[in-house]
Amino acid sequence: MDLKELYQEIILDHGKNPRNLGRAENFNKDAKGHNPLCGDKVHVYLKLNENKKVEDISFEGQGCAISMASASIMTGLIKGKEEKEVKEIVADFLEMIKEKENLNTKLLGEDEKTKLMCLSGVKQYPMRVKCATLSWHTLTSAIDKSQNEINNEVK
Amino acid sequence: MNLKNIKKEFPIFRNKVHNNDLVYLDSANSSQKPLVVVDRIYDFYTKEFSNVGRSVHYLAVAATNLYENTRSSVQKYINAKDKNEIVFTKGATEAINLVANSFGQKYLKEGDEVLLTELEHHSNYVPWHYLRKSKGIKIEFAEINVNGEVTLESIEKKITKKTKIIAITHLSNVTGAILPVKEIIKLAHSKGIPVLIDGCQSAPHLKLDMQDLDCDFYAISCHKMYGPTGLGILYAKKKWLEELPPYQGGGGMINEVKKESISYGDLPNKFEAGTMATAQVIAFDESIKFLNKIGIENIVKHENELMDYGQELLRRNNSVTLIGNPKNKGAVLSFTMKDIHPHDIATILDEDGVAIRAGHHCCQILHDKLGLAATARASLGVYNTKDDLDQLNSSINKCKKIFE
Repeated sequence: MDLKELYQEIILDHGKNPRNLGRAENFNKDAKGHNPLCGDKVHVYLKLNENKKVEDISFEGQGCAISMASASIMTGLIKGKEEKEVKEIVADFLEMIKEKENLNTKLLGEDEKTKLMCLSGVKQYPMRVKCATLSWHTLTSAIDKSQNEINNEVK
Repeated sequence: MNLKNIKKEFPIFRNKVHNNDLVYLDSANSSQKPLVVVDRIYDFYTKEFSNVGRSVHYLAVAATNLYENTRSSVQKYINAKDKNEIVFTKGATEAINLVANSFGQKYLKEGDEVLLTELEHHSNYVPWHYLRKSKGIKIEFAEINVNGEVTLESIEKKITKKTKIIAITHLSNVTGAILPVKEIIKLAHSKGIPVLIDGCQSAPHLKLDMQDLDCDFYAISCHKMYGPTGLGILYAKKKWLEELPPYQGGGGMINEVKKESISYGDLPNKFEAGTMATAQVIAFDESIKFLNKIGIENIVKHENELMDYGQELLRRNNSVTLIGNPKNKGAVLSFTMKDIHPHDIATILDEDGVAIRAGHHCCQILHDKLGLAATARASLGVYNTKDDLDQLNSSINKCKKIFE
């Protein structure tokens, strides 16, 4: 149990100054996510082009440092990826945050993986895992548009 | 019993949390248990266990007597007129659901209004919402003022000819506001409207007197009163319990059962279907004895002193904003910190062994009104000390440092 591992500089930085905050211009996919336990809210906007590539991605929301940093880092990594690649990265991240030691995907560079691994500190705080995963589930929901609002409580 | 050494009565404080002494500031959520209560559960199961109210053997008779003893103790503790006005439930939530369900079934029809307040816990809103769905009733909310209080005038403003019941909290679990329930009940009764009081937060911290209050229904949560979980109490005036239909059907609540018809048992059995939380009821007698040994007057005095001390500490801390400023306030300190989410505050405080709650505290209506997604809340119990509040304040400062 180490607070410094949870609240690393990079998390605090992204939490305070989230990247890709706002509504992406000309978005054509979006979804809202909500964590009823803590009141965190996130709205993910995507612009997928005709080749199913993420041309733009952004989010709006309010929440704790972990959930804001997670959404901020996520949007940075996803921009420019194809839909299939997005799904692989999301699945890899969700597995890592729940049980696996490391990220396995070859779709991210080492420095990108390092950045993402900064979120792995939440593993020691089971109640806070949902904070880190909310935007990722919401991204999946935006792509699939299977469900309008992700309710992280039941995940 | 001396409040100075009261922590010793609670075995939980012998344990360390992250190598620190536990500073438990989450009693509004649930209180810790004194050893006498824990021991009573153990003793009952190891030496005296039997179901109650059914068999005639030695153990059954003894257990039934113990179970009914607690009912009498509760009656005295809250000064109810009749022992049979005390109904055991699985929690205050079930107590409110019972009233909403049974009262709604018999007395409410489309267009009727139920008056709540913006301070209500979800457990005193959602059960009424079901009636909105099933019967088409309307739910009105008396508004809070800038101090996070609900005044008599605010209630009066929302009473109409269609108001059929008023259901309000006695003490807000977020702003700490103590409502002028006696005046509200008097006003409501002058218009022929019954009143349910959600007493979850008040019961552990205020002197209760059902006859003086003259309320129709009062819901109590035992686990917030240094008692076991899985147990609540519904106080209801006898005439209501006689008039209302049963909430759940099952064994123990019936008189005669035929293929064509069923008649229900006497009070309070009519509302206690199935095997009840027997051990919890019997152990709750120890909680009442514990409260009586300290004396509710001493508890009120102790918690008010701590509250003033805590409020002053947090007011002087310029990174903290207190939520609500009611004149008449119970043992709750809700707050926010600039640019730090309550969940981050709670995680960082936890590292120091300081247990608070963060979130909407099951009061989303109130948080929407306040324009906040979440708040952090430190709530007090008999075992808290000024040292606990000093630790809270210094952990808050540590939190500020991390986010600087």
